Amino acid sequence: MSNTLRPYLTAVRSTLTAALCVENFSSQVVERHNKPEIEAQTSKEVIMNPLTISRNENEQVLIETSVNSVRISIKIKQADDIETILCHKFSRFMMMRADNFVILRRKPMDGFDISFLITNHHTEQMYKHKLVDFIVHFMEAVDKEISEMKLSVNKRARTVAESYLGEASRLFYKGY
Amino acid sequence: MILLDYHNVILQDTLSARFESEKPESLDMTIVDFDGVLYHLSTPESKTKIQVSFKWGCFSELINYGANDILQREYSDMLVSPPQDGFDATLALDLESLPQDKDARDAIIRKISLIKRNILAAPFERAFKEQEQLEDEKQANPTPELMAVHYREDEAIYVKASQDRVTVIFSTRFKDETDRVFGKVFLQEFVDARKRQDLQNAPPVHFSTREPPLELRHLDLKDSEEMSYITFVLFPRHFASLDVREETISRIQIFRDYLHYHIKCAKAYMHTRMRARVRDFLKVLNRAKPENANVEKKTATGRTFRRS
Amino acid sequence: MSSLPVVVMDNGTGYTKLGFSGNSEPSYVFPTAISTHESPSASGAPSVASKPSYLSSNLASKRGIEDLDFYIGNEALASSKTMAVHNPIRHGQIENWDHMERFWEQSIFKYLRCEPEDHHFMLTEPPLNPPENREMTAEIMFETFNVQGLYIAVQAVLALAASWTSKKVNEQTLTGTVIDSGAGVTHVIPVAEGYVIGSSIKSIPIAGRDISKYVQQLLRERGETGIPPEDSLFVAESIKEQYSYVCPDIVKEFKKYDQEPDKYFKKYEGIHSVTGKVGATKLDYIYPGGIFAKLDFFLKPYSVDVGFERFLAPEIFFNPEIASSDFLTPLPEVVDNVIQSSPIDTRRGLYKNIVLSGGSTMYKDFDKRLQRDIKRTVDYRVKASEDLSGGVMKAKPIEVNVISHKKQRHAVWFGGSLLASTPEFYSYCHTKAEYDEYGPSICRHNRVFGSVM
Repeated sequence: MSNTLRPYLTAVRSTLTAALCVENFSSQVVERHNKPEIEAQTSKEVIMNPLTISRNENEQVLIETSVNSVRISIKIKQADDIETILCHKFSRFMMMRADNFVILRRKPMDGFDISFLITNHHTEQMYKHKLVDFIVHFMEAVDKEISEMKLSVNKRARTVAESYLGEASRLFYKGY
Repeated sequence: MILLDYHNVILQDTLSARFESEKPESLDMTIVDFDGVLYHLSTPESKTKIQVSFKWGCFSELINYGANDILQREYSDMLVSPPQDGFDATLALDLESLPQDKDARDAIIRKISLIKRNILAAPFERAFKEQEQLEDEKQANPTPELMAVHYREDEAIYVKASQDRVTVIFSTRFKDETDRVFGKVFLQEFVDARKRQDLQNAPPVHFSTREPPLELRHLDLKDSEEMSYITFVLFPRHFASLDVREETISRIQIFRDYLHYHIKCAKAYMHTRMRARVRDFLKVLNRAKPENANVEKKTATGRTFRRS
Repeated sequence: MSSLPVVVMDNGTGYTKLGFSGNSEPSYVFPTAISTHESPSASGAPSVASKPSYLSSNLASKRGIEDLDFYIGNEALASSKTMAVHNPIRHGQIENWDHMERFWEQSIFKYLRCEPEDHHFMLTEPPLNPPENREMTAEIMFETFNVQGLYIAVQAVLALAASWTSKKVNEQTLTGTVIDSGAGVTHVIPVAEGYVIGSSIKSIPIAGRDISKYVQQLLRERGETGIPPEDSLFVAESIKEQYSYVCPDIVKEFKKYDQEPDKYFKKYEGIHSVTGKVGATKLDYIYPGGIFAKLDFFLKPYSVDVGFERFLAPEIFFNPEIASSDFLTPLPEVVDNVIQSSPIDTRRGLYKNIVLSGGSTMYKDFDKRLQRDIKRTVDYRVKASEDLSGGVMKAKPIEVNVISHKKQRHAVWFGGSLLASTPEFYSYCHTKAEYDEYGPSICRHNRVFGSVM
């Protein structure tokens, strides 16, 4: 783990642990409604100040907190075209399976690659610290996965090119 | 499977099944090959006479480059003229007059299943011949023409001979954003692969996106983000002897399909990885769910009770 | 390039049928099997992708293309000694998507030799396939293969469409009962106007493999000692396929055999696997558990008498008690029950158009016997209700038709080929552009019916 990644993840972990202090809260605007306030944005007083933790320009986490829900949006590192495409594909692949991922938002927030929405229902049914673990694990793993995928594409491309040109060149030797 | 076959497997299998079976059956089958080639197998007259018809959009171009000569050379005794309605070439086979020898039969099957490859070989063979003439300066130099084969919609192969080389240029179009990025990585590796010591003898490869290479500048090609151009430079050593020449032609032809096949395989592999990764994430997430607390507990005698 | 034929793929539990639309037979029929270098246990829960479960000692793993090292179909079975063979489809549904994706990859590029970007694709799904599976299929087809258009049809509906070629059918309707019997299981599926009536589907645990086993048992009990034990199931299978037929009445049939044994008893000439070798060959072999294998046979001729099993084999559809102890409802009764449990306004149509599909419905006179037995039940019921009304009410007689046709064996594939060659097909397809716009959920919608399925 590089030396800037650890403090970055620690910061995310502590912030999240603090932010995940949510409780059941009925809407103040519409009777008998109970919605994640951070999404509904109906009353200002239940929404806290959003907070951005940023490692650098390309890697940021936006944590928006309200009385009954927390929204976490993550910007994943994308150094070049191939990483952008892989990151896009991967986040899309996950969001396609958002049903299984309970806390995954089906669409990322503007400017981010993937968003999670944790409501009081989730924290009531699941361990908070384990949820934080998951987010941190995700951030760690997703970078690794994307760079590994990129490596494997490159490796693959090399083998493909070499076997196309390679066997031909063996023949050329023979004929030469 | 890394390399693709050069021959058509369905043609091969269907014909060998017919050759071996004792009871001839009627046949009416339409099959395809890469790049929009259409075959039609039929038994119009009697069950023992098989017709194989061939159709390809760029056939008229290939005729200009000498495809007919190749057809005559390879399939002279099988060629039917005129070809079946709506098709470019038709071959006929009589099951009753086949050679008894198994090897001879296999050779026929092989020849037919390679028909697409043989027809597309026309511009290459011509370019090789022109190059030889150019090299031999004593003869009157022909002016080599840039031979274009529009073998797919929006995609073409250009072949041009010059004094010491034959240049083959593929234009290929990536319809999908992902494909384009993957394609770029793959093509870059084709260029780089030659730097390896043992691949020094392979033909040099260049590629460019958007911008057509020098040889094609005058053609006024549609400028598009989706287009890529790949140039292979073949030197005389790549087509000096007959078997090397045949292999070079086959190999070059399959390039486009090979590239696209591997891009798709790479995507399939990504899917495999992502599925595994998603499974892993789910496992971590599910750790957050508490174990079911109300498991039924039993006493030593096997009775149960509710704890509250 | 829309003039190119549509690719029709029918991936069944046992066999995959591949081909192009407009043809009357699939170009390829091979086992839905894939052989890889993974250990079989890893396929259930593969480890995390960072360490794909491919053998690390394998040379290819250093080159990043270890996932290309696999075989499908007959080649997969041939390599079963050195590689692990998997069946990606279980009970009609795709279980292992990684394997299935690669299976398709090779089907398309090696066998069909087509550029998927140029073609429309027609795939099939079993009845009651969850929409999630359909979405996964679409995801693979559109994202990996960039297919131009995709249509996923229900197998039973295609089987109905295939029956339009039969002479007995004079109107092209998508209402009817499909009896689909393959190697593993038999389904009775009612379809009304193209909709599968899911709640009424019944399956019967008797199919091709059970019949083979029953023939094997009969031969063993009679003491056919000529058959070597290791290929007794294979012999039973061949006898079933070559000599079996359905008789109208077992008792009479037994009598016929007793009176004129010469006319009815046949001889099966087999080749033997003992050390006295005449030659060696390899044969595809399916074990009863569905495990595929390629066996070496040393050939030596022998012969087996074929007698009552000729008509007793398919008889287990009609009298299951002769072979099975836990399933006792005869097929005609199951069909009748299925139709009776369907909505009342569809029943006449369902009786009128009972369509057979799959290899295990190919016995001679299978259709006649089934039709007779169902007709008998139906007529009895009609008569009983007429009697109850004291003869005042007269019911319109119910038509019962069992339809058998030439394309029965690959009926599903053939139906697909037929539908895909109609010009309307293209308008029913989901296109790549739509997929990019809306995502995989488009596959929940079927444009033939204009509703959300």
